[in-house]
Amino acid sequence: MATPTLVQDTDVEHAVGTIQRGRVVRKGRVLGVTTALALLAFALFVATMMVGSFPVTPWEVIASTFRLGSDPSVDFVVRDLRLPVATTALAVGLAMGVSGLVFQKLLANPLASPDFVGISSGAGLAAVGSIILLNVSAMFVSVAALGGALVAALLIYLLAWRDGITGYRFILIGIGVSELMVALTGYLIARADIFEAREAMTWLVGSVGNAGPTQLRILLVALAVLLPLTLVLNRHLDVLELGDDAAKALGANVERMRLVLLAVAVVLVALATAAAGPLPFVALIAGPIAVRLIGANGSGLVAAAFVGALIVLVADLVAQHVVPVELPTGVVTGAIGAPYLIWLLATVNREGRGG
Amino acid sequence: MTHELRAEDLSLGYGPQDVVSHLDVEIPDGKITVIVGANACGKSTLLRGLARLLAPRTGSVILDGKRVQDLRSVEVARVLGLLPQTPVAPDGITVADLVGRGRYPHQSWFRRWSAEDDAAVAAAMESTGTAELADRPLSALSGGQRQRVWVAMALAQDTDLVLLDEPTTYLDINHQVELLDLLTDLNRRHAKTIVLVLHDLNLACRYADHIIAMKAGAIIREGAPIDVIDAAVVTEVFGLPCEVLPDPVSRTPMIVPRGRHHVPVPESV
Ligand SMILES: Nc1ncnc2c1ncn2[C@@H]1O[C@H](COP(=O)(O)OP(=O)(O)OP(=O)(O)O)[C@@H](O)[C@H]1O
Ligand SMILES: [Mg+2]
Repeated sequence: MATPTLVQDTDVEHAVGTIQRGRVVRKGRVLGVTTALALLAFALFVATMMVGSFPVTPWEVIASTFRLGSDPSVDFVVRDLRLPVATTALAVGLAMGVSGLVFQKLLANPLASPDFVGISSGAGLAAVGSIILLNVSAMFVSVAALGGALVAALLIYLLAWRDGITGYRFILIGIGVSELMVALTGYLIARADIFEAREAMTWLVGSVGNAGPTQLRILLVALAVLLPLTLVLNRHLDVLELGDDAAKALGANVERMRLVLLAVAVVLVALATAAAGPLPFVALIAGPIAVRLIGANGSGLVAAAFVGALIVLVADLVAQHVVPVELPTGVVTGAIGAPYLIWLLATVNREGRGG
Repeated sequence: MTHELRAEDLSLGYGPQDVVSHLDVEIPDGKITVIVGANACGKSTLLRGLARLLAPRTGSVILDGKRVQDLRSVEVARVLGLLPQTPVAPDGITVADLVGRGRYPHQSWFRRWSAEDDAAVAAAMESTGTAELADRPLSALSGGQRQRVWVAMALAQDTDLVLLDEPTTYLDINHQVELLDLLTDLNRRHAKTIVLVLHDLNLACRYADHIIAMKAGAIIREGAPIDVIDAAVVTEVFGLPCEVLPDPVSRTPMIVPRGRHHVPVPESV
């Protein structure tokens, strides 16, 4: 490939060196931060399984989790009681973290997370509907939540479509759709009997202890497929961020890539919601925190996944063991997230963007 | 490598009305073409149509014998690049990262970043004078610096045809001339075909091999500036009475506007 100018070759060689070094430094930073977050998430994953009325050492947790030892009483506490909850927290956090950042990048707006624009409330409506109206198995609640999220996403997409999608319109319509879903959910709960209503409310607040084994398994399989897929698609996300015109000029298949990325993000957040309920704010705050840690050095999708996991694990730990009464996880994530949202809205307005 | 880029019976638009209707145009290969015209006359629309960012309502755009709508997007993007008039940058992005995104059409899911990408990015940044800015966030640059970074991104795409929508907006006069000189270098040394939208008619006349004067979505005149630009054409296209003199440096047409003020009463020129 020719050097496209009059500048001296030595200058260009020098610049190549600078660019290569810069790239290596940035990669190193991303890798370092991401690894640190992963280790921290693993440490918390283990820690949540240590505490409780039957304390267990970290080594016992690891040995039991990975089936390296066998102490029946430890195995029972760790593997049967605590591991499913901890795994749910980890998986739900990973899924919500990635999904949130994909949405925020795709729509170029920090407010554009799936729990904010009505995707989660779509999943919620369908899940509550299936609990109350159909009284179905846990497996079907997952499927219903997925369907609800997809329908909500499609509805928003179609309503917001006008020769393309802009973040601002998507968010406003998303908030409208979200209100509609919440109202319908309220209606369903109001006409349910007290027992079902209680079950639905518990589900709606969200708790990592709610997940059934089937829902968890579906979520884990989806993560195993979709997380690597998101990383493969990240290249496209990077150019979509430049706006439709520039992305098309660079040869991106804008509409198709946006749909695929939205679909991946919607499926992830829907399955996470199906497993643990709509844990508020996790998807909204994980991405921005990851981006802040990584700076302008990389895309931060993996980091966002681990930040999401950290938030849910911490929230679970706090909800179960720190506060005097045991709370659903969603109450804690809400308490962490709401001040962040207020701060975000305040700073967004000061900088004059936000749409 | 020679290329053919032309439009046949091309209509483009957004609302119910066409902005450009039934237009035929051919971009001369290996030349610098400059499109001039009043605000809102359809210059950007035409460029977007040529770069298949906007689907034709009638007719088609032909690139190397094939309709661009029938080509795969990345195939087009390896041959033809476009810098939009108002591109948007993601929050917090650095200069090197942004310029690097110009390499997108040369990569694929299995072919990630390569030494060739590094070389193209370095050359693009060096030639636009943005290499020292590599690690700065774009948001911390001046308007003119940003503009040069965007041009660097378009150059990093390394296409034989480069379409630039008002690349000199925001640039001081020195940087305007530098950028146009750079584009001329690219054109002469590497036979790149360049299409520009410019608002400075004097620079347009000086740097264009071929000038296209547009009005209300139609082409009024096209050809070598010295042959087609005269006071009547400028007045027709811009509605501005003016004088056209030979540019003392390049001998190309130089436009001197006649406003309502500062014109001596009896006569001038
Ligand atoms: N995205 C859009 N949606 C609707 N109308 C548009 C859009 N972009 C441009 N137009 C309209 O199309 C017409 C031509 O616009 P265009 O951007 O092509 O003008 P231009 O010649 O590039 O002007 P300028 O010199 O101001 O850049 C204008 O009347 C404009 O209002
Ligand atoms: Mg324009």
